[in-house]
Amino acid sequence: MKKLHSLIKACMSNDMSLFKIKTKNRKASVLFPLFLALYLMFIIGTASYGLFKQLSPMNLQYVLLSFFVFGTFIMTLIEGVYKTSSLLFNCKDDLLLLSLPIKRRTVLFIRIFKFYIFELMFNSLFMLPAMIVYVFFMKTLTVTYIITSIIMLLTLPIIPIVISCFIGMITSSISSRFKYKNAIEIIFTMIFLVFIMIISFQMQSITKNIIQNATSINDVITKIYYPSGVYAKLVTNFNIVDLLIYILVNIILSILSIYVLGKFYFKINSRLKKVETSNNVNINDLNIKSKSKTNSLIKKELNTFFKTPVFIINSGFGLIMFMIITFILVFKFDSLIPIITNKENGLGIPKDLIMNNISLLILSITMLTGFMTSITNSVISMEGRNINILKSLPIKVKTILMSKIYACLIITTPILLIGNIILFIKFKISIIESILLLLLVVLIPLVSHFIGILVNLRYPKLDADNATEIVKQSTSSLVSVMLGIIFVVINIAIIYSSINHISSILLLIIEVIVYIIIDIILYLCLINKGVKRFNKLSV
Amino acid sequence: MIEIKNVTKKYGNKVAVDNVSFNVEDGEIFAFIGHNGAGKTTLIKSMVGIHDFDSGDILIDDMSIKDNPVECKKLMAFVPDNPETYEHMKAIDYINFICDMYDVDTETREKNIKKYSKLFDMEDKLNDTIDSYSHGMKQKIVLISALCHNPRILIMDEPFVGLDPKAVFDIKKVLNEMIKEKKIVFYSTHILDVAEKLCSKVAIIKNGKLIKCGSMKDIKGDKSLEKVFMELEK
Repeated sequence: MKKLHSLIKACMSNDMSLFKIKTKNRKASVLFPLFLALYLMFIIGTASYGLFKQLSPMNLQYVLLSFFVFGTFIMTLIEGVYKTSSLLFNCKDDLLLLSLPIKRRTVLFIRIFKFYIFELMFNSLFMLPAMIVYVFFMKTLTVTYIITSIIMLLTLPIIPIVISCFIGMITSSISSRFKYKNAIEIIFTMIFLVFIMIISFQMQSITKNIIQNATSINDVITKIYYPSGVYAKLVTNFNIVDLLIYILVNIILSILSIYVLGKFYFKINSRLKKVETSNNVNINDLNIKSKSKTNSLIKKELNTFFKTPVFIINSGFGLIMFMIITFILVFKFDSLIPIITNKENGLGIPKDLIMNNISLLILSITMLTGFMTSITNSVISMEGRNINILKSLPIKVKTILMSKIYACLIITTPILLIGNIILFIKFKISIIESILLLLLVVLIPLVSHFIGILVNLRYPKLDADNATEIVKQSTSSLVSVMLGIIFVVINIAIIYSSINHISSILLLIIEVIVYIIIDIILYLCLINKGVKRFNKLSV
Repeated sequence: MIEIKNVTKKYGNKVAVDNVSFNVEDGEIFAFIGHNGAGKTTLIKSMVGIHDFDSGDILIDDMSIKDNPVECKKLMAFVPDNPETYEHMKAIDYINFICDMYDVDTETREKNIKKYSKLFDMEDKLNDTIDSYSHGMKQKIVLISALCHNPRILIMDEPFVGLDPKAVFDIKKVLNEMIKEKKIVFYSTHILDVAEKLCSKVAIIKNGKLIKCGSMKDIKGDKSLEKVFMELEK
């Protein structure tokens, strides 16, 4: 036990680096993410209160809790599918951990435990506000509620983590048998993600009727997902036996999973480490050509991107979703109209308003994709110790940073452009609006990329054990995602509150001007503050 | 010429390099020695522009690394103690990348890649990704990419670690060639007998302070460099 404690302490010390910042701006560095987290919790709390109010007349307030438990399950599962294969396998500390006199299962346990701690924090952002809203407005704060909620919070990540670990193990096991391991892993992960998304979309269509059919929805959720039902039951009618059974189920599931997964872990990990080498190649056949510095840096960035599955999955998934939405709009738009316009069961938006402002709908989708597929929040951390290579080379820091932005634009812009053009043709968007939207296709992701790289320069993680820790679990990725959400929400709110007062063309012109100004400001920040921060990075 | 002028570098309250000054002239092979944690790597990283330093200056051919980092770096090549490369790249792509950063034309890089990859027995392995290499092979790739742009100043941090005996022999040959062309080689090492045979000048650093600097002859006198070093370490 002492050994395990030391191991966990050593392995977690890296992840807690944010709280050990020793710079003079320590307070600001810690407080800013904390502020964003609290802000996000406030937004979720407000949404929970909205749902609570709607459920109150029917005396079905507990549905709020089972609904949030199910929501966090889906989110953690999606997160888990993204992460597990790279969190479990080919980690930098494999050499150290696997050479220590500890069981291989212990190594696996530590990897999963790190994942659990992160998801626990992530889940708390969503669950805590709902739990507080429920107890505050129900005015029924009891010891049993507190105990049940704490146990719920602590156990919620277990089931989705176990499922995603099995999925990760399966994808890695299959991909490890192929020459192009990364490509196979990406394809399988994407298939699983799309599958989960389809299921959760179907659940969303059910939950649209949540207010009217709260009891039946609750029945569905609780039948599908055991913890949702248990929580609702324990809150409304506490029973110690149910709680103990629930705890036991989670403990048994955890132990069994570690045991089963541990059986295959080492084998798959070893197979994944095999690197393919080419047979002796004649030096005269090699591609020896000179390129400009920027081109060469962009090529390096693209190489990093395409050789890092979690990078591709993270941004690629957003782009795939964008294309799916595009095709839904192209082929199924007519069947969507009743859902959008229906006052009773739909969103209740007037048809004219939608048809006259299609360009703004396209803009909103572009904006969401642009901010959700930002890669730059990880590009500095991805350098790791190689940051020293860049710092020793005779190139301006501005060139290095801008090449990272260009590479990200190359990855995201073409798909956004294609999607937009398809939508222009389908909805016969005017030339002026098309031009403005095309400008925004570049300007919006540019803002997101500038924000991402600036945040990453502020919160670099150059000592990560694997790419997933950087792409999905770092302070930088969390802060920039939260900033992105806030940016998109504010922007879309402004657009839709102005629809009735300003024409869509004028709104698009304002958007273009505002984004140009923001881009210029962020560019200036990057070449001044960003360059200084880059120069101070050290490994 | 490299001029280190009263350079001080601190990490928080700890002084890693304490007011160090010395010069390295053209045509010199300069050994920089000291115990682990003495401040060798910190000073080397400051010389090549990886670290900033708190006071003093470092001049490369009369240009300050602080004021003209890009111009100074154009003259130098750096070989770190741990072979840091972009491991997912093919070796040839990595070498091409480094050459692009130094604006090496296709003809020169082709000639140099062939020359140095042959010298280090890496000719037929350049098409493999670097993550398939052993430590020594990675070190060879770092050396090839450092030499490919014909640097006037070669700065190396413990370059012989992990290299096989033949590669050590070959790199010594390359260094001697560079000296004949009046170039500068500056390197830190723990292998004192190689430094003794190879280097014309030596500096010894202890706890961040320069305790000896001069020609190899003057520093060691009749003793071996190892003996002198051990005496100074007491």
